[in-house]
Amino acid sequence: MNCQEFWNTMPELAREAEDGHFEHVRECPACAALLNRQRTLASGLRMLAADWRPVEAAARVESRLTAAFLGQTGLAMRRPPARWWVPVATWAAAAAAVVALAMFLARDRPVVPAHRTTSSRVQLAAVEPPADLESPGDFSDADADFIPMPNAARIEPNEDLNLVRVEVPRSAMIALGYAVSEDRASEPVEAEVVLGADGLARAVRFFE
Amino acid sequence: MTEKPMTPNLPETDDGLLMRMRSGDEQAFAALYRRRQAAIYRFALHMSGSATVAEDVTQEVFLALIREECGFDPGRGTLSGYLFGIARKLVLRHVERGRSDVALETDVEGSAPLALMVHDDPLTDLIDREGIEVLRRSVLALPQRYREVVVLCDLEEVDYGEAALVLGCPIGTVRSRLHRARALLLEKLSQRWHRRPGVGALKPIGCLI
Repeated sequence: MNCQEFWNTMPELAREAEDGHFEHVRECPACAALLNRQRTLASGLRMLAADWRPVEAAARVESRLTAAFLGQTGLAMRRPPARWWVPVATWAAAAAAVVALAMFLARDRPVVPAHRTTSSRVQLAAVEPPADLESPGDFSDADADFIPMPNAARIEPNEDLNLVRVEVPRSAMIALGYAVSEDRASEPVEAEVVLGADGLARAVRFFE
Repeated sequence: MTEKPMTPNLPETDDGLLMRMRSGDEQAFAALYRRRQAAIYRFALHMSGSATVAEDVTQEVFLALIREECGFDPGRGTLSGYLFGIARKLVLRHVERGRSDVALETDVEGSAPLALMVHDDPLTDLIDREGIEVLRRSVLALPQRYREVVVLCDLEEVDYGEAALVLGCPIGTVRSRLHRARALLLEKLSQRWHRRPGVGALKPIGCLI
């Protein structure tokens, strides 16, 4: 092993090298002297490390960081978390609206003459709300396509209303005066139901 | 009498503390901070020579951890190495901005009181407090790429593999830089010794042989 090879394999002075490594040192006084100096340096560095071991950041740094941590945590708490109950509540409200609508339609379903048609497509009549229905009167023009539910309670001024989009069987449209072919009566159709503050349906509109 | 088996009360790992900290546990944050802050502070102080910079860096390192700005991935290394990595970048930024309170290359030449005792070998000075201070200043005077390996591996006892991750270089580069850094330190210490008044006054008067 020559001097270069010796130093190439001896970068870690803190470690005790294998015996074979030191054969070169025994034969080479220059490398022995340098190795000795490097070991002294390593020892000095260890002493420096030990001398500095108690050195640490001032207590005020921890105080500031703790305040920042609490602020960050507070923000995280105030931030809307991933609210698992939101979709659950939405589906529950939708289900309640469907049930309310279905119950209402089942109760007040008018007698509809059997309407058979050879056409398979849905015949959506341009229906007007039944003339005998009391109009809630609180819908704007934009809401003009809402059909008030028969016998529904009047919408009070400033009443909190909820609009829920649901999917109902197409047969539910029959109760509101729409013509629906029998073979498609069980198909779903999307509807928006206006729920009053009491949770009961007040008006509905369908989407084709 | 039967002895109950001793169950060692092992300290919670950094990763465990970090998980609790991220769920808002203040105690976990305090424990993690107290475990790691000193090494980060010392690293920044050795690297910058400035207590102000070291304090700022320590604060910014842990703020980054609080805000999850840098995305620590336990699969890529230890939390300690990750914190050293952030500290290193911040120190370099501070030094580049010239915010360091000391002139790194010149400060080491400053006039620390020197002992007049002359030793046969300058390194024997390293055993006393003054010698340790001289060594610290010599480390501070090293070029940045050598200084950081000495501080990480020799002073903070980070292993070579982790140092390589912190520095973003191969482990062989860490070894060669460390080797070169030690040679530079020896050179600086020797130069310093030869400039000492006690040595400088001894001028050769002639060759005896």
